[in-house]
Amino acid sequence: MIRFEKVTKAYPGPGKPALDSVTVEVEKGEFVFLVGASGSGKSTALRLILRETRPSDGRVYVAGKEINRLAGWKVPRLRRQIGTVFQDFRLLNTKSVGENVAFAMQVTGHSRKEIRRAVPETLEMVGLQGKASRMPDELSGGEQQRVAIARAVVNEPMILIADEPTGNLDPATSNDIMTLLERINAETDMTVVMATHDESIVDRYRKRVIELHQGRLVRDEAGGGYGGRPTTTPQGV
Amino acid sequence: MRHLLTELRQGLARNVSMHIAVVLTLFVSLTLAGVGVLSQREADKTVEYLGNELQITVWLCKADDDRPGCLGLVTDQQQRQVERTLEESPDVRAAEYVPQDEAYRLAQGLFDAELFEGGEDAPLQVADFRASYRVTPQQPDEIEGITSAVQGLEGVSYLSDQREELQPVYQIIDYLKFGSLGFAAALLLAALLLVANTVRLAALARRKEIGIMRLVGASGLYISLPFLAEALFMALLGVVLSGGALAALMQFGIVEGVSQQLQFLPWVGWPDYLFTLAVIGITGPLLTVLPTLLLTRKYSKV
Repeated sequence: MIRFEKVTKAYPGPGKPALDSVTVEVEKGEFVFLVGASGSGKSTALRLILRETRPSDGRVYVAGKEINRLAGWKVPRLRRQIGTVFQDFRLLNTKSVGENVAFAMQVTGHSRKEIRRAVPETLEMVGLQGKASRMPDELSGGEQQRVAIARAVVNEPMILIADEPTGNLDPATSNDIMTLLERINAETDMTVVMATHDESIVDRYRKRVIELHQGRLVRDEAGGGYGGRPTTTPQGV
Repeated sequence: MRHLLTELRQGLARNVSMHIAVVLTLFVSLTLAGVGVLSQREADKTVEYLGNELQITVWLCKADDDRPGCLGLVTDQQQRQVERTLEESPDVRAAEYVPQDEAYRLAQGLFDAELFEGGEDAPLQVADFRASYRVTPQQPDEIEGITSAVQGLEGVSYLSDQREELQPVYQIIDYLKFGSLGFAAALLLAALLLVANTVRLAALARRKEIGIMRLVGASGLYISLPFLAEALFMALLGVVLSGGALAALMQFGIVEGVSQQLQFLPWVGWPDYLFTLAVIGITGPLLTVLPTLLLTRKYSKV
């Protein structure tokens, strides 16, 4: 579903590349934790998947497309295959819960009939049934993140990118969100890539862990914990 | 469509003062540009009309002529020489001889009758008039060849060029044309920059929304559409206001105004107004849509 082949991403200016010859593959339906300290290259990896940037070297394949070669006008179509969730929720505060979720469908050209069917179903799936008319600022942090998840999955993407989705939440709420993401992964076979700093979650859920350190892949471990020993030998070492 | 209309309403309400500024600037600049276009067409009409009638008059010497080239009444030989010179000149299309008595008769129709009454004591006599050739040039703008050929011939008193008399009319039209087009250019630039600023502000106000649209896979065109609709709406208002102002100028300034007072000149009419309306109808939307397209491409780049 996602494949990095010797991907290097260097930004202008001096210093090490953000990603340095990373090769990794994530299969359809997998749930993967992407871990690493700040500046390790996690965000760059996610931006590459979303085709917000292109690699300086190597190849990135997402949903069968090589993003290096993808023409600009085809990028929206690629992004419809990817749902995204952020630490800061990024909800539109002038729109209700239902409108926030519907927004993702409206702007991608879905009919009103489809929207009327899909939005309540998705809200129910994330546990927000009956809250469609509430405004985001009337909700708790956990509920707001559920709205963001609903918006990310309402178009039934193949991949869900979650960038620190529990970063602003207390441990109990983080656990609820994790449970929700795990359920979505299991029920829909959606590939989930979750970047996180949350040790307890990584340790508890024991999913595949991909660890980056200074732009290099230092660990790719199935069922690993947050602070495991490097299991891959970085290229060139 | 519903989404677009909602976005348009919200976008216009979001920054009312800026939108009013854009519409007013567009209104004034398009009106001035329209005045410039109308002036250009007026100039074309005037030149076309007067240019066809433009004639150089070659005045021949009269008996008591005190012009430097005259030694008394023009002789038949001198007159034939002038006529031959005009006939042989490639710059002359036609030359019509107006003898002294004909000039006298024409003057009777233009001036007070008193001047011609009293027989031999009348203030104006046939001898007071000069015979002349009315010369129509091949090209209204090119008379140097004719003047240089005729000037200085014996029996020629002087040459007169009607265009010298019409110079002030052309000058006023030129001032109007270049003045209005100059101001219009400055104001159109101001309108362009105002539109750019409005788009920038609107994009800033909607940056979160645009960010989400990009992430969920909205196309660049879809993201740009509300901005384009706003730009077109402002342009439309500017064009309507400007078209109204120009129509008022046509009706009260020209049709019921100067064209009644200065009937010897041809004046621009409603077909010219329609042409001008088409020019501003195209310029207005271009002025708002082009910067909007360029800037939204930047802000909505996927």
